[in-house]
Amino acid sequence: MIAFTDIVGMDLAKQALMLLAVDPSLGGVVIPSAVGSGKSTLARAFADILPEDTPFVELPLNVTEDRLIGGVDLEATLVKGERVVQPGVLSKAHGGVLYVDSLSLLDSSAVSHVMDAMSRGAVLVEREGLSEVHPAEFMLIGTYDPSDGDVRMGLLDRVGMIVPFTTQNDYRARKLIVNCVLGKNGSEDTEDELKMLKGLIQAAKEQLPLVSMTQEQMKGLIQSAVSLGVEGNRADVFAIRAAKASAALAQRADVDEDDLKLALKLVLVPRATRMPQQEEEVMEDMPPDEEMPPDTPETEDQEAPDDNSSDPDEEEDQEETPDMIEELMMETVETELPDNIMNISLAAKRKSKSGSRGEALNNRRGRFVRSQEGEMRSGKVAIIPTLISAAPWQESRKQERKKKFGKVNTALVINKEDVRIKKFRDKSGTLYVFMVDASGSMALNRMRQAKGAVSHLLQNAYVHRDQISLISFRGKEAQLLLPPSQSVDRAKRELDVLPTGGGTPLASALYLGWETAKQARTKGVSQIMFVLITDGRGNISLHSLYEEDAPKATKEEIEQELEGLAASIFADGIASVVIDTQMNYLSRGEAPKLAEKLGGRYFYLPNAKAEEIAMAALS
Amino acid sequence: MTQTASAAKKTARTKAKSGAVARKASGPKKARTKKKQGQAFPFTAIVGQDEMKLSLILNIIDPRIGGVLVMGHRGTGKSTTVRALAEVLPMIERVKDDVYNRSVSEYIDGNKPQRGRNTLTPEDLTIEDIPVPVVDLPLGATEDRVCGTIDIEQALTSGVKAFEPGLLAQSNRGFLYIDEVNLLDDHLVDVLLDVAASGRNVVEREGISIRHPARFVLVGSGNPEEGELRPQLLDRFGLHARIITITDVGKRVEIVKRRHEYDEDPQAFLKKWSREQRKLQRKILNAKGLLPEVSMSDDVLTDVAKLCMQLGIDGHRGELTITRTAHAFAAFNGDKEVTMDHVREIAGLALRHRLRKDPLETMDPGEKIERELAKVLGEVEEV
Repeated sequence: MIAFTDIVGMDLAKQALMLLAVDPSLGGVVIPSAVGSGKSTLARAFADILPEDTPFVELPLNVTEDRLIGGVDLEATLVKGERVVQPGVLSKAHGGVLYVDSLSLLDSSAVSHVMDAMSRGAVLVEREGLSEVHPAEFMLIGTYDPSDGDVRMGLLDRVGMIVPFTTQNDYRARKLIVNCVLGKNGSEDTEDELKMLKGLIQAAKEQLPLVSMTQEQMKGLIQSAVSLGVEGNRADVFAIRAAKASAALAQRADVDEDDLKLALKLVLVPRATRMPQQEEEVMEDMPPDEEMPPDTPETEDQEAPDDNSSDPDEEEDQEETPDMIEELMMETVETELPDNIMNISLAAKRKSKSGSRGEALNNRRGRFVRSQEGEMRSGKVAIIPTLISAAPWQESRKQERKKKFGKVNTALVINKEDVRIKKFRDKSGTLYVFMVDASGSMALNRMRQAKGAVSHLLQNAYVHRDQISLISFRGKEAQLLLPPSQSVDRAKRELDVLPTGGGTPLASALYLGWETAKQARTKGVSQIMFVLITDGRGNISLHSLYEEDAPKATKEEIEQELEGLAASIFADGIASVVIDTQMNYLSRGEAPKLAEKLGGRYFYLPNAKAEEIAMAALS
Repeated sequence: MTQTASAAKKTARTKAKSGAVARKASGPKKARTKKKQGQAFPFTAIVGQDEMKLSLILNIIDPRIGGVLVMGHRGTGKSTTVRALAEVLPMIERVKDDVYNRSVSEYIDGNKPQRGRNTLTPEDLTIEDIPVPVVDLPLGATEDRVCGTIDIEQALTSGVKAFEPGLLAQSNRGFLYIDEVNLLDDHLVDVLLDVAASGRNVVEREGISIRHPARFVLVGSGNPEEGELRPQLLDRFGLHARIITITDVGKRVEIVKRRHEYDEDPQAFLKKWSREQRKLQRKILNAKGLLPEVSMSDDVLTDVAKLCMQLGIDGHRGELTITRTAHAFAAFNGDKEVTMDHVREIAGLALRHRLRKDPLETMDPGEKIERELAKVLGEVEEV
């Protein structure tokens, strides 16, 4: 066991955990980090700095719904003859920590339950004849490797602090980590340090109620949240709590600049959906909610708070201080997020595949929805429903047996026809990956057709629980415009801006599509269909992406690259359709060749209507 | 005697018999209105989000409006608002301990023998006042708990097939709330659609056959980015409120402050807002009383019909909803005559989700409704 104080590096993560220990109402910490950076060691070591006997419950990824939210304890129920309830993992974590390793791999229905428990502070059990409320107020510690996929935004929103993603490259730190693991365990130093740390946290907890924040500081934080396009109000509350906890840790009664910076780093910036400069542009498509009348309670009661009017004297310096905090924010944004915010922040994750639906009934895995009659061997037996169906006949069956055999040996007589098996829902819709050639003169046309086809497919997506993803390619590199999604709203938004013109990086598109497909597979999507809308004339090699000054690839090299990629895609069992919308006289037969390489079908649809393309994809 | 009655009676009988057996307080047989942990954040203290608040209030005034769907950004207080609703709801009368929350006449109706005279008279029944129930349907609910099923304890211990009512029974004459409604299992959606359309729940399983009234105001909320709602279910909701992140810093400061105050000392905070709460409750009650007197002129009705026609709304549910909602809105404002001004305020709520979906349409449905409304009223030059 490695102690909290022994862990080298991950300073921000450590800070976040300490803040959480001081104020558990911060809800939790999510730590995205690459494999081997010690994130799960750190999370487990967190238990060290909590008061003794704080529950620390690890949520296994393959948790069943029963175990997660609780259910009937069968054995005890049968013994007692009355329902005995076994609490689920969520309520076991009540008052303590719920730890999830590889948060992004957690099943989407499990994520929904964790989310629900976090917003309620309780678990509502309404299943298999049970109707109960179990308290479940816990801190969520989640770690995940971003290359496994993203965590659902709804869940991240309920977690107070999100540690900015870092790969730990510093080999010296690594060496130290290794040394720690090998040697220093349980030394007296560590114990002393831990004791100190615990004392520090205890002192901070006592300090916390005494910490105050000025009106301007509060406004500044909230102004920053608005500028960063943070969705909802939870982040505001979290940011303020984080700043206060940070002040408490430093044994201060006032929040200072460092506290605000930390709150920005851990709470607000990771939730940014836009760069602050872009403000005007984004404001335009925000529905005007300023029109709403200010929500002032209609009362003469002096006590009732009055919304928008702050005291006049506050009004004066309000102009300066929140601005200063905004500056602080810009500074934080710049130093923390050197390259581009969209890759690091949740703005990219907002595009994550959420609500991975597309489920079909099966007998083995997924989410248990109902039970039905069936053979014992044809699936998992649903015990409670089986008992229910057997129960009414017990009297008569026992009497029957008595008549036949003279005595009854078993407490319960269960016949074959009583057996109920569980029906599960499993994900199995199709993922359509549209790859649209956005280069050349016909690009605009193709884009429009693709948009129409995508929308058309999405309109029917909720029937089939299908998902759609969209990749456009032009210039040097293909771009994932829409990660696998079911949402018409989102598709519309992402599709509204489509740049066109430039070279044709077909290989890059296929590669990106392949990656997207692989990720979807890990989340349970079984069928994948590529829909390529292109003339098939790729002229940019994948290599040019990775080697700045690589010599221009020859036609043959590009051809080879495409062939290799196409073969791998085909071998992966991905179906493809190539739709050529180019006028016939321009074509030199590249598109049919591409279809052949992919083992897919080729359609020649000049001036195709959106419906026709959708039909081709569905065929 | 119908199945309902016999089952219910049986339940009562066996319950009395097994009274000696120790049973947990949360025993499921007793009719109950499940109290949530602690008291909710006061409805009137919620800042902004007026569309959602108004939609909920109008549904209290006239439950026939058909519920609300609240879609929008996460963390904007959707579920807080719905859960706060319970505290401003009026009381209703039901037959004492009735698991289906039935009124005296419903109860007598439900227990009517196949032929012959009514054996029950109102004098036989004790009544009690309960707050309008708000029932939470969690995503993980199984079908048996939603519809009700055989009571397994009784089945195992005494071999009696007694019906254990589900969430649909609890929500009769109340509100049924589904958070993340767009993620609800298809199978449960089918059940809900069926029950919402007929107003009754029919259970035929495990050898029991029960039908009981299940009329509820369906309230759903969710984030559209997490997934789409099935069109049939979308159509079922009377109103569609949209909710977005408030960008006004002043308001957001106020939200944070109120939240903080509430967390610090819930009792004091509730007390501070109790006057507002009572005031709203009174206003709703008055509106409920006024509603039967509210009328709508033929001119207004014609304009409403024109509006629906021009927006190309299929079926009559749109017109019906907009008319009912306008009535409720007029009553809420203390007006006895529905005018186009009332209609204008609620048209978006009632029609937004009924417009035919054009995938490439970029105009906001609300704007489109505004525009058509202006045309109908002959104000088109101003737009």
